[in-house]
Amino acid sequence: MSRVRKDPRAERVARTLSETGRRPRLDLGRREAGPASGRPRRDPWREWAASLAGESDTGNGRKRYDRSQRQMNRVEAAHFARTRDGLDAVDVSPGQPALRVIDEPAFLVFAVVAAAGGRLSRFDRQVLGGARLLADAGEGGGAVVAIAAESIEGLGEAGADRLVVMPRASTQRERAEVLKAAVDALSPRHVLFAEEGDSADCARRLSVALGEPLFPDVEHLTARQAVRAIRNAGAEIGLAPPRLMTLGEDRARPYEDVPCEAREIEGGGEIASPDPAILSVEIIPGDPAKLALSETDFVVSAGNGVSDFGAFRDLAAAMKGTPGASRVVCDAGLMPRQAQVGASGTVLAADCYLALGISGAPQHLQGIAGCEHVIAVNTDLHAAMIERAGLAIVQDAQLVMPALLNLLKEREA
Amino acid sequence: MKTIVLLSEAKNPVSGRQQPSRLEAQAIGLAAGLDEAPQGLHAGSSEEGVAAGLGHGLGGLDVVETPAGDDPLPALSAFLRRAFAGDAPPALILCGRRGEGGLETGLVPYLLAEMLGLPILADAVAIRPGEAPETLVVDQAMAKGARRRITVRLPAIVTVHPLAPPPLPFAFGRMRRGEVRRHPAPAADAPAAGTLAGERPHRARPKLMRTAGTASGGANLHVGPEPEEAARLILAYLEDNGIRRYGPA
Ligand SMILES: Cc1cc2nc3c(=O)[nH]c(=O)nc-3n(C[C@H](O)[C@H](O)[C@H](O)COP(=O)(O)OP(=O)(O)OC[C@H]3O[C@@H](n4cnc5c(N)ncnc54)[C@H](O)[C@@H]3O)c2cc1C
Repeated sequence: MSRVRKDPRAERVARTLSETGRRPRLDLGRREAGPASGRPRRDPWREWAASLAGESDTGNGRKRYDRSQRQMNRVEAAHFARTRDGLDAVDVSPGQPALRVIDEPAFLVFAVVAAAGGRLSRFDRQVLGGARLLADAGEGGGAVVAIAAESIEGLGEAGADRLVVMPRASTQRERAEVLKAAVDALSPRHVLFAEEGDSADCARRLSVALGEPLFPDVEHLTARQAVRAIRNAGAEIGLAPPRLMTLGEDRARPYEDVPCEAREIEGGGEIASPDPAILSVEIIPGDPAKLALSETDFVVSAGNGVSDFGAFRDLAAAMKGTPGASRVVCDAGLMPRQAQVGASGTVLAADCYLALGISGAPQHLQGIAGCEHVIAVNTDLHAAMIERAGLAIVQDAQLVMPALLNLLKEREA
Repeated sequence: MKTIVLLSEAKNPVSGRQQPSRLEAQAIGLAAGLDEAPQGLHAGSSEEGVAAGLGHGLGGLDVVETPAGDDPLPALSAFLRRAFAGDAPPALILCGRRGEGGLETGLVPYLLAEMLGLPILADAVAIRPGEAPETLVVDQAMAKGARRRITVRLPAIVTVHPLAPPPLPFAFGRMRRGEVRRHPAPAADAPAAGTLAGERPHRARPKLMRTAGTASGGANLHVGPEPEEAARLILAYLEDNGIRRYGPA
């Protein structure tokens, strides 16, 4: 990038007041020409004024500023939110989010969410975020249609304008058929899937059924192009976002603005005929106690601060987590070596990690770098694990473990 | 049960040398449990990498010699059609989730299933013959360690998940003894497109960071709470973030 060179002489000429016969006089306060670089000047005063969130009414008149850069979105929200029957969240006030309503979208973008267990996963939010990006970038503004097997909490916050509830299909072939009916009925501009499990399978079935190419495992998604790796990550191709895409994990930012309405609409097809080749389908739930550390989603882990390992094993089982341990504990033979978490143990792919009496040595923290939620129980306020944790409890693990077990027993009853 | 394993032209991302794909080696391991001499099938210009599959347990290897960069689908479907019409038709076709080294769309098994009229199941971690003849029981990997056990009527196409058992150890002698049969490619209607339009060297892009949403310290740091209060906080945190739900189901 090159900036325009400043020409002091030209600037001086532009500012010279034409009063002939006298000494040339300069008007240094004049600004209408704009800076030579062509970039607009920042106005810090206006920015502060825009981020004023409120004034405390306790008499001293202290101002509260919100500098989280969401102010522009509130303005946008006011632009988008219009009065609709049964909906009066038009008033955009700080602290109370408005609803973003898109009445007549120019086009639709489908986001197929798996929502295992009736909750949006992080990956589902990323798929919805990617769809939101494509919908907002298109001319006229599009709407994101979430395709799910049931109505899920938090779809609006994740960026879905509409929701199409699909009938529950027992086989993937039926699921793809129903989805194809929805695509035929609503003709979306893009259909976005997660490159994972059933979604990835469904994307390929849909691609074959529609006879359209699929652009899988997108690594980089913007409004103008979608990029993916090919040839064993030796090359990549970038295209204008095609119609059918699957998104790689952790590649698109989840949507974090004003909630959308997630209004349910018709569009799901009917299940026509069962698949004659599938004779039986049975779901076997996973047993967290027997899962490998690399596969599980929730690890309950003990460190040198835990002394009662009987209670710890009971706790891991009661919390439906996979037991893990720090190296010190494995070296002492208190837990099996397979349970070691960290650089020389297992690097976790879990969503959540509960650390009981673990100091958080760098070698241990490497193993939990991919965990989104960390809970630490430690007696030392200054332990590295307490700093890493999303919920930090400074308390004796030997007291917290029985309390947790009691509380879980109470809940079961 | 006659089994065919589809092999792709995987390359080492660093050295660029051809090598067997790990997932396909795992598929060979699964196939070896059903058929003592599973056969490999590869469409491509060289067999340098895929021949290692013989060392991982394949009984033989068919190579359809298509020009480099060509679409393998016509060659594969023509070969499999002939195999199904022959006197010992295959019962099961195994492959990885996505072929490596080419365009890596993962569509080939699905297009083959469509062309040959076979059912397809994805993400198998274990397979075994069903109780009834001509059936197969497939365990599919799902999130959180769950499995979906499906009984499917054969013949079928099954893709393999990375959580399947690790591949059989490589044996050099087996690889040398293995038979490689070469077949000419069927006449292609379209000339091979060497590289795609818009293809360029790959650039590694960072993934999103996974960290807890709350900045630590602040509201979520609790110093010396009562143990009961601490337990309540932990369970509330787990339930709010959708990790687990406790209580009577
Ligand atoms: C090459 C190398 C590789 C390594 N790889 C690994 C690895 O893969 N994994 C691994 O874990 N480590 C690894 N380590 C070891 C690592 O450096 C640490 O020594 C180890 O992780 C510390 O384990 P810890 O936190 O359980 O024990 P400590 O460091 O002893 O910490 C115990 C913690 O428990 C707290 N505590 C004490 N009593 C209580 C109580 N009653 N209630 C609550 N809290 C209490 C203490 O405040 C302290 O913070 C490696 C080291 C090296 C040199």
